[in-house]
Amino acid sequence: MCMAIADQKRVAMGVSSSMMAEAPIADLLAAAHNGSQEAWNSLVDHYGRLVWSVVRGFRLDAATAADVSQTVWLRLVEHSDRIRDPERLGSWLATTARNESIRVLKRQSRSVPTEFSVDVADEGAPGIDERLLDDEQLRDVLVAFEDISQRCRELLQMLCLDPPLEYEEISEILGMAIGSIGPTRARCLDRIRKKLERR
Amino acid sequence: MSEHESDDQLLARLGAALEAAYPVPEAVLDAARATFTWRTIDAELAALVFDSAEEAPAGVRSAEGTRQMTFRSPGVEIELEVVSETRRRIVGQLVPPQEAEIMLHHHDETRVARSDTLGRFTFHDVPSGSVRLTCKLHDESGAVVQTEWTLI
Repeated sequence: MCMAIADQKRVAMGVSSSMMAEAPIADLLAAAHNGSQEAWNSLVDHYGRLVWSVVRGFRLDAATAADVSQTVWLRLVEHSDRIRDPERLGSWLATTARNESIRVLKRQSRSVPTEFSVDVADEGAPGIDERLLDDEQLRDVLVAFEDISQRCRELLQMLCLDPPLEYEEISEILGMAIGSIGPTRARCLDRIRKKLERR
Repeated sequence: MSEHESDDQLLARLGAALEAAYPVPEAVLDAARATFTWRTIDAELAALVFDSAEEAPAGVRSAEGTRQMTFRSPGVEIELEVVSETRRRIVGQLVPPQEAEIMLHHHDETRVARSDTLGRFTFHDVPSGSVRLTCKLHDESGAVVQTEWTLI
């Protein structure tokens, strides 16, 4: 029943959402700040995956990852008139998602583990999609990816975001010199390639 | 295939794998859309300026399971202690000390408390998730101060 209502909502939003999809981010932000839920939904359509990808990269459990994602969007609600450069909203969201994920991780690492396991729901865990198992090419690269350094994983993940971030933005987010992104990217991909060859 | 796979192709393959393996749940997107209902215009924002959870493990460390946070706005500071028991307890202090109406927003639930003359207030049994406090000051300014959304 809930599903049906959600679907109807999506259908109802469909026409206008596609109209807004073409609007510049600055216009969507301004419209959202002035009360347009529709503009807000377009921002979520555009960047929801990006926020989730960054949070998920920190390997938080599903419930915590969902909480972090929601916190990031709540932050944007309260800061929607204070985004200095709207065209770099993706970068702002990725930074906020990263900071909040790191904060949660720090907190979890110093707390009694059992306390957190009580809160955690298993439903919808961000586990590996079963469909993926049918695609050997994708499965192999993912297994290799999980086996490289955290620094490499984070950089490659940033490079895979949709919509993509500029090197300059990634440099700021990860605190990595812009000139070293290219070489590090090559080196990290090479590590994956070597692991793939060994298989 | 991997024999002549370029860096760009390998990165594209990785991107496709990550997307297939960890799709963004529709419930997460719905929650993101729903955050819009928390839009407020007239409140002054109190920014998080200290969080014991942000400090390095070797740094200031309070009692196990207690997290300290300070939110600051031009007019008032809100100091919080989040005590993690089975459920969380939030103990707050307004600086300067003053009486105020304090609202705790948590998902779709809002609870109300009052700070005493010493500026202290407490919320019991707070579940984990994003929270925000709204303080309606009782002084002549009658200002409304809100903390940033914070995950506890």
